[in-house]
Amino acid sequence: MSRLTEIPIRIEPAARSEASAVVGGLGGGVAAILCELVTLLERLVKGESPGAIDLRSLPMSPLDRAELQRVLGEGEVQATVNAQGLSKMRETRVSGVWWVEHFDQQGELIAELIEVSRVPEILSSASDEIAAGARALRAQIAMAAVPPAPQGSHVPLQ
Amino acid sequence: MSLFNEQLTVGESLRLHGISRRGFIKFCTAAASAMALPPWMGAAMAEQLHQAPRPSVVYLSFQECTGCFESLTRSFAPTIESLIFNVISLDYDDTLMAAAGDAAEAALTKAMKDNFGKYVLVIDGSVPTGAGGAYCTSGGRSAVDTLREAAKGAAAIVCVGTCSAFGGIPFADPNPTSAWPVTAIVGDKPIINVSGCPPIPEVITGTLLQFVSTGQVPDLDEHRRPKAFFGNTIHDRCYRRPFYDEGKFAKSFDDEGARNGWCLYELGCKGPTTYNACATIKWNGGTSFPIESGHGCLGCSEPGFWDKGSFYAAQSSAEWGKGGAPSPRRVLEVGGAAVAAGAVLGVASAGVSRLRQHRSEQNTADRDKKEG
Repeated sequence: MSRLTEIPIRIEPAARSEASAVVGGLGGGVAAILCELVTLLERLVKGESPGAIDLRSLPMSPLDRAELQRVLGEGEVQATVNAQGLSKMRETRVSGVWWVEHFDQQGELIAELIEVSRVPEILSSASDEIAAGARALRAQIAMAAVPPAPQGSHVPLQ
Repeated sequence: MSLFNEQLTVGESLRLHGISRRGFIKFCTAAASAMALPPWMGAAMAEQLHQAPRPSVVYLSFQECTGCFESLTRSFAPTIESLIFNVISLDYDDTLMAAAGDAAEAALTKAMKDNFGKYVLVIDGSVPTGAGGAYCTSGGRSAVDTLREAAKGAAAIVCVGTCSAFGGIPFADPNPTSAWPVTAIVGDKPIINVSGCPPIPEVITGTLLQFVSTGQVPDLDEHRRPKAFFGNTIHDRCYRRPFYDEGKFAKSFDDEGARNGWCLYELGCKGPTTYNACATIKWNGGTSFPIESGHGCLGCSEPGFWDKGSFYAAQSSAEWGKGGAPSPRRVLEVGGAAVAAGAVLGVASAGVSRLRQHRSEQNTADRDKKEG
């Protein structure tokens, strides 16, 4: 044998048990995830905290995954965050349901989850970083010898 | 000397190193996912850690080969490792620190004094007690004395590697240095064993991260290993398991079965009695693990793995479910008296859970059925 790729690997489709019998055309695993999403969405509407489902913790076959993606579909928003590797998130056709993928700096997928929130946690700016940004800008303005506006006061109009 | 500025919070330290809060949330989310924690724990961990001062960690190396430390630092995911070193304040580590001699020893003393009762003590290597502890000394003190001293002010002890967790290779027959695991020396502190020869890097960092972010010892098995990583056998999670169930085995390392990627059980694979996360987290950045590379599991994360006969002899199914050898234990000596001899091995069956017994019986029955 000369190459690793010559070792045959066969992936056989998992047999569906009675318990995960097809429900309304959906695999039992997919149906369960959808039910959980409905619960999380209803909680969010009531003002409770956002929720998430860790996709990597679920034993999903590629077939289940494709099915879940098909049902949720594509929504209006797509976003990419570049922090210690890329993070990609897209809203699904169901508003408030976000498909989030985190990659490391080598491009390996390190986490994949479905978040139920108004905006994914990672997207919004953090208060302490906003404050640090303001400080940095102020310092930059001072460096450029432009007198900054006094803190906490408005510049009087002429 | 501290390797890092100990006054900073985790958030400030991360920002200094150019890692944004988003990067940190992502790191915690990935860590929570790897640890099989609920997904909201990632953001919660990030939130909690971000505002906290970095916890002090003291890393002591005793009778060891530094392989565990190599595993931790030579990971294929440097961002994770660099993050963990920003999250904690690594106040003493004789392999990494620039200081030497008196300065290094002074750093250890200072870290233990300043953070008394709060620091995490990481131990790498077994503790030799023969010849008054003379087989392993550093700075004029024996490993056993250093351990006892350092343990006093520790919030918890994390034993990294099979040597510190179960004695490992130094403890193996005939144990010429009278080596013991940490649990045999320290009896009054929370101890978390992260076994493996070496342990998986993500398992080491994940365990440390979980402890420092929650302040809680995670759920442990009867060998004090975190269940999140050591809850399943290699066999249970092995991608070759379907071949075992079908009775398809490689009989030698170059036969057709080996080429077809069949089960390595008959070539001595210890997967059925070994609890670890190799089959799921894998090695070298998720590239593969021994069985995927065509070699059976050696069972290196189990107590007594070096003394269980050939790595290439098929296990008897009678061994299944016993969870390997018991963790080595001994009676703690009173008042710091000289180490008493007498290897008191723990009760083998006491810690065996019903679940495992049931699983083992089931497996044995299945196997007998197949063979019959």
